[in-house]
Amino acid sequence: MEGLLFNVNNGYIEGIVRGYRNGLLTGTNYTNMTQCETIDDLKLQLGPAYGDFLASLPPNPSTSSLAAKATDKLVSEFRYVRANAVGSLAKFMDYVTYGYMIDNVALLITGTLHERDTRELLERCHPLGWFETMPVLCVATNIEELYNSVLIETPLAPYFKGSLSHQDLDELNIEIVRNTLYKNYLEDFYHFVNSHPDMAGTPTAEVMSELLEFEADRRAINITLNSFGTELSKADRKKLYPNFGRLYPEGTLMLSRADDFEGVRLAVDGVADYKAFFDAAGLGGGPGGPGNMAGGTGSDGRSLEDMFYQKEMEIAKSAFTRQFTYAIVYAWVKLREQEIRNITWIAECIAQNQKERIGNYISVF
Amino acid sequence: MSGAADREAVFPTRQSLGIMKAKLQGAQTGHDLLKRKSEALTKRFREITRRIDEAKRKMGRVMQIASLSLAEVTYAVGGNIGYQIQESARSARFRIRAKQDNVSGVLLPAFESYLTEGNNDFAMTGLGKGGQQVQRCRETYARAVEALVELASLQTAFVILDEVIKVVNRRVNAIEHVIIPRTENTIKYINSELDELDREEFYRLKKVANKKQRDTAADFAEMKKRKEEREDENQAPEQEAQAGPADILAAEEDEDVIF
Repeated sequence: MEGLLFNVNNGYIEGIVRGYRNGLLTGTNYTNMTQCETIDDLKLQLGPAYGDFLASLPPNPSTSSLAAKATDKLVSEFRYVRANAVGSLAKFMDYVTYGYMIDNVALLITGTLHERDTRELLERCHPLGWFETMPVLCVATNIEELYNSVLIETPLAPYFKGSLSHQDLDELNIEIVRNTLYKNYLEDFYHFVNSHPDMAGTPTAEVMSELLEFEADRRAINITLNSFGTELSKADRKKLYPNFGRLYPEGTLMLSRADDFEGVRLAVDGVADYKAFFDAAGLGGGPGGPGNMAGGTGSDGRSLEDMFYQKEMEIAKSAFTRQFTYAIVYAWVKLREQEIRNITWIAECIAQNQKERIGNYISVF
Repeated sequence: MSGAADREAVFPTRQSLGIMKAKLQGAQTGHDLLKRKSEALTKRFREITRRIDEAKRKMGRVMQIASLSLAEVTYAVGGNIGYQIQESARSARFRIRAKQDNVSGVLLPAFESYLTEGNNDFAMTGLGKGGQQVQRCRETYARAVEALVELASLQTAFVILDEVIKVVNRRVNAIEHVIIPRTENTIKYINSELDELDREEFYRLKKVANKKQRDTAADFAEMKKRKEEREDENQAPEQEAQAGPADILAAEEDEDVIF
C-alpha cells in the first residue's frame, strides 16, 4: 500500500540515494587502500569515488584534511538530497541533522561557559548540524542568554525544554547536557517515525525503529561502561538512557544498577546480539580494564565499540533491501560516516607506518 | 718546551724560589684533583648519554603508540573532540617536581613526574561513544609525557654536564700545559740565575783570595827583605865595627827613618 504513492514525491530521492549507496567503497577498494604506501597512493585509490573533492588537496595531505574533504562530499550530497526532498521526507532529513546540531550546540555551550569567542567555533561545527540561526547563538555572552536563544532559535528547543534549565547548563557537565539532549532527540525521532501518518506502519517505521533502537541501546551501554569511575551517579545515569530500545525497560533498569563490566554483561543478557558482543569483548580483555601498552585491544581482538559499529553498518546495509522507505537516507548517511572513519583510520595507519592494525576498518559491502 | 722566555716575571731570589716551589706543588695537587673530577663527570656523562639514547628510543615507541591511540579516538568518536578536551581541562593532572642532584660539585636538575589523584577533568568526555578510547588515549599520552619528562631531565643534565666538563678540561689542560711548565721554567730560571750568582760570587771570592794571597806574599817578601836588610844592617855595624869606626851620621839617619 505504501508503495502506491511513494514515488510521486520521493522516487527521485530514493533513486539518487541508491545511486550514492552504489558509490560507497567496497571491500576490494579497502583492500587496495590498505596496500598503499603513502597518502598520495591512498588519494589515488580514492580518486574514482572522491575525485573532485580531493583534487584541491596538496600532495601528501594530512589525515585530518583528507577526512575534512571526505566529509565535504557527504555534506554536499546530503544538501542536494535535502534540497530536493519535500513533505515528510524533508522533515525526516531535518531529524537526521538534529543529532549533529546537538553536538554543535554543545560545542557552543562549552565555548560560552569558558567565555571564549564563540564565532571562532562556528567553523569547527559539523556542517550537517548547521542551521540558519546558529550564528545568532554567538551573540549570547552568558549562559542564560544562550539558553534563551537556543530555545527561541533552534529546532532543539523541545529537547531543552522540560529537562534542562539554564542553571543546569552552568552546573552540569557538558557531557551530561549533551547526552540528555541526545536521549530526548532519539526518543523524539523514534516517536516521529512511528507516529507520523506518512511513516507509521510503513517499512520506514520498521527499519528506522530497528536503527534507532540499536542506537539507543548502544548509547545506554556505552554511557554505563564509560561512567564507571566517574562522579556520575547511578540516578543521573539512569536519566540518560533513552526510554525505548530492545533493552528497555528491564535491560536499562539493570544497566542503571550495574557497577562493573560484569553487571553490564548481565543486563544485556536478554538480547542475543549484545550478549555475543560482550562474550567476544570479554575474551579480548574487556574494555573496562585499563589500556594496555599496545594502545588497546590487540590487532585481532575487536573492541565492543568496533562490534557496535559493525552491527550498525549491517543494519544500515540491510535497510537498502527495503523499498519505499526514508530509512535509506539515514542508513546512507551512517554508512558514509563509517566510510569516512575508515578512510581516516587507514590514512592514519599509513601516515604513522603502523600497518599491523590497518585492517581494523569496517566494511560491509 | 716553549722556551725560557715563558716564565713569570719574578726576581730570581731565594724567597721567590720558595714561593714558586709552593706554587708548583699546589698546581700539581690541583691538577690531580681536577683530573679526577673530570673523570667522574665524564663517567656520569657517558651514563647519561646512554640513558638519553634509551629514553629517545622509548619515546619514539611511546609516541607512536600514543598517536595511534589518538587516531583510535578520532575513529571511535567520529569527529574532532580537541576543543572540548581543551576547554574541559581545568587543572594539571600530570605534574613535575624539580630536584637537584649533586655530581662532584655540579648541581644537576632532575625532574620527577607525578600524577595528582582525583583530578580527572574529562572523565565524561565521550560518554555517549568513544569514552573508553578517550581514557585509554589519555593514559598512553600520560605515559608519553612521562617519557618526555625523563628525557627532558636527562637532556638538561647532558647540557649542563657538557658545559662543566668543558670548563674542567680546560682548567686541567691549562694547568698541565701552561701553569706547570711555566712554574717549572721559572724555577729553572731562578735556579740558573742563582747558580750564576753563586759562580760569580765564587769567582769574586777567588779573585779576592788570590789578591790577598798575592798581597800577603808581597808583604811577606818585603818583610823578609826588610828582615834581611835589618840583619844586614845589624851585621854592617859589626862589619863597620870590625872595619873601623862606622859612619855615625848615616847610621843614625837610617835608624830614624825606620822607627
